[in-house]
Amino acid sequence: MDAIQSILVYTVVLGSLYLLIALGFSLICGVLGIFNLGYGATFLVAIYGMWMLLSTIGVNLWVAIIGVFILQFLFTLGIIYFPIVKRYMEKEELLLTSLLLVSLIVEETVNHFYPVTAGVDIPTAIFSHTLQLGSVSIPAQMLIVIIAAVLITAFFVYFLMKTRIGFKIRAISQQLEASRLLGVRVERVYALAMILSVVPPTICMLIIAPIWAIEPNMGHSLLQTAILVTILGGLGNLRGTVMASFIVGLIASSVAFLGNPRLVGMSILLVVFFVMIFKPQGIAKSETLW
Amino acid sequence: MSLLTIENVTKRFGGLTAVDNVSMEIKEGEIVGLIGPNGAGKTTLMNLIAGTFNPEEGKIVFDGHDITKLEPFQVCRRGVSRTYQIPRPFPDMTALMNVGVGVLCGKKRPNMSLVDGMLDASHCLEFVGLFGKRNILARDLSLFELRALELARALATTPRLILIDEVMAGLNQAEGRVAIRLIEKIIEEFHVTILWIEHVMKIIMEATQRVVVLHYGEIISSGLPGEIANDPQVIEAYLGEKIA
Amino acid sequence: MVRIEHKRALMVFRFGDKKFEWPIETRYWRNPILGIGLLALLPIVFSGRPDALSLIATANIYACIAIPLAWQMTGIGRLNFGPQAFVGIGGFIAALASVHFGWGPWATLPFAILGGLFFGFIFSPLTNIAKGLYFSLITLIIPLIFLEITYYFSIFKGETGLYGIAPLVNVSSIKAEYIITGYMALIMMVIFLFVVVKVFDSRIGLYSAAINDDEEVANNLGLNIKRWKIISFVITSTMVAVAGWFAAHYFGTFSGVTYLQLPFMLKILLMVMIGGRGDVYGAVYGAYFVVILEKALTVVGLAHYILFPLILLILLFALKEGIYGLYRMHRYREYYPTIRVRKR
Repeated sequence: MDAIQSILVYTVVLGSLYLLIALGFSLICGVLGIFNLGYGATFLVAIYGMWMLLSTIGVNLWVAIIGVFILQFLFTLGIIYFPIVKRYMEKEELLLTSLLLVSLIVEETVNHFYPVTAGVDIPTAIFSHTLQLGSVSIPAQMLIVIIAAVLITAFFVYFLMKTRIGFKIRAISQQLEASRLLGVRVERVYALAMILSVVPPTICMLIIAPIWAIEPNMGHSLLQTAILVTILGGLGNLRGTVMASFIVGLIASSVAFLGNPRLVGMSILLVVFFVMIFKPQGIAKSETLW
Repeated sequence: MSLLTIENVTKRFGGLTAVDNVSMEIKEGEIVGLIGPNGAGKTTLMNLIAGTFNPEEGKIVFDGHDITKLEPFQVCRRGVSRTYQIPRPFPDMTALMNVGVGVLCGKKRPNMSLVDGMLDASHCLEFVGLFGKRNILARDLSLFELRALELARALATTPRLILIDEVMAGLNQAEGRVAIRLIEKIIEEFHVTILWIEHVMKIIMEATQRVVVLHYGEIISSGLPGEIANDPQVIEAYLGEKIA
Repeated sequence: MVRIEHKRALMVFRFGDKKFEWPIETRYWRNPILGIGLLALLPIVFSGRPDALSLIATANIYACIAIPLAWQMTGIGRLNFGPQAFVGIGGFIAALASVHFGWGPWATLPFAILGGLFFGFIFSPLTNIAKGLYFSLITLIIPLIFLEITYYFSIFKGETGLYGIAPLVNVSSIKAEYIITGYMALIMMVIFLFVVVKVFDSRIGLYSAAINDDEEVANNLGLNIKRWKIISFVITSTMVAVAGWFAAHYFGTFSGVTYLQLPFMLKILLMVMIGGRGDVYGAVYGAYFVVILEKALTVVGLAHYILFPLILLILLFALKEGIYGLYRMHRYREYYPTIRVRKR
């Protein structure tokens, strides 16, 4: 009984976390139709950009939060989108390689200036106590993760379904050439999608940073999580991504509580591997964004 | 003696029946035109014969062998080759290499060397008049040259039946005439059987011996070109009910 | 009076009124022989410096991974993002057999080959099931699964790696050992190069090109694409596994952390990209270039971790067809593949 309770709680917690991690990646995949392998660097820019503003430059917390978003937008447009994605849209092998290289450069730069031994302390914790849910205890900060996941997903869905720009984004994701002919400025919408895509990881990192082990090479595993959830969710379908996040959360928590915590990574990889072989479209078809 | 026999072939895509219970027969040495409005299932029928799709029902027999369930490459090795409506060359290869693939793969020729294969390929290129362009990458060829290249590639596999999917589309009148002459030359020289999809009625009427009309996946008429042109059902399918 | 002119695909040397022509074309046998001769001189030139010898051997091992990949890219018409899985398979088979049974390198080689063939066959259906990006993603996942396996089963010694693997040769002098193993690496590289060049010059090269350009059309022209893709995949994977076997015995240690993670894959991919996509000779240039660049940058201190990827990124931007492409600009273009990832 305890195990079931734990699994349920952790499915929700981990699912929300995975959703926040994967949402931006999935959006890019759906709109631009590419894999943003530089996505891992986004997490580093969020955390270490914040830490740079707080410790090295020494601004106060609220300025730093605004600053980190600005930094993030500059990074994603100035380094990822305009020099690389826009240029190599049609040459995927170059696109993927150079995006991987960029994330490697960011990682090494961070490692150079803020090595793992120096430590990072970001004071964005709202709750510092742990919460007792039946027999399960989780950090109360995780509640914020769940709330943030719900709010951001709701915002994304509202934005894509109800606003004019959202309509354009959906049009592009389905019929690129036709929407170009109808006068949608594709490059601008792509840039907007890139900006939107960094919002969830930044918020996620700000919330999770106080209770997580922060290290410069964390980008790999986060990118891997984002890729796996997106593949499972059907390459860019938001509904599929939401479902896939919680499925992955369920797999992770049940393997951890019923089996061996060290098998979590392998079991997720194996499930995604077989889904890709036998149902390559994933849970939802990727023709639509929602 | 019939070369190709299609018996009650049906192909569905989801809810759409693209080819519905089609039966036809092509005799050796015949030149058969296949016409019909857009979306009538002409190209699907061609894909079924070539093995790209497998029909849900029915049977396709080529030269006494059942080829219904065979893979495209096996169908090709039995002697069926095709061209594409939108030319699909190997873009990064030269014209000569394009045809060379057909020569070396079309029949089982494990003992033929690459050089001999290329020699055969250059004969094929010469036949369609592209020998001067043999070293040009296929992506740099014009539409007309691509059509000729596709014919050369189809010939290179030493076929007995060639499925031609719209030679004329996108060509101007002069180029079209050259293309037609080329096909006539192929028929004369190699005595192949041809199933010819075309939108330009005039050419079908002049060049073919028999015409089959497909509409919504069904054969609505079949006969001599002259008869077809006056068949009210055909006119209706093409122009709508009122004029008929 | 000596004059050297550089004409299209020709170097012309004039001594007075005498004229010598030197075609800069790889299909003439002289250039590869010349290049290999130069590489063969390196271990002798650097015989006093073990670090340089080890660097050269590393470059040869990397080239042994990149050369088969050049074939694989065109031969299956897809970009494999997980070639390091087969490095891992070959290496771990060699390492496990050597550590647990005390076998020498020649006893483990057949098992590394068998392992490469076996897993090559197991994964080869993927070349027919998965297209374009899906294939790249699935192959990206395979080495990660393998890495998790090496963490989970203690036999692989996931975190520390296996050590104490039998060395390639047993000689008393360390200096002699370095030189001999250096030549062994070179010989393996030359064999791989020879095999793949011969394959590309044969009809299989034509088949590979056809599969890479448009496999559906190739199928309609009578090419058994499934069979050829499986053959290409299995053979190239086995070759990569043999490179893994060599690496395990050469370095004496083997760990999943080194060989199965993304940075190693990225390094191999960059060798292929920077050398010249899908080109055999380019893979060798790329391997030597990347390895030497990485080593040369260590003079700037810790910042080389940043500089190394940065320079590679700039090179990727600047050299559209890789280093080998600079050389190719002067000669008549034969088949130069486009690599397709998307192709849904």
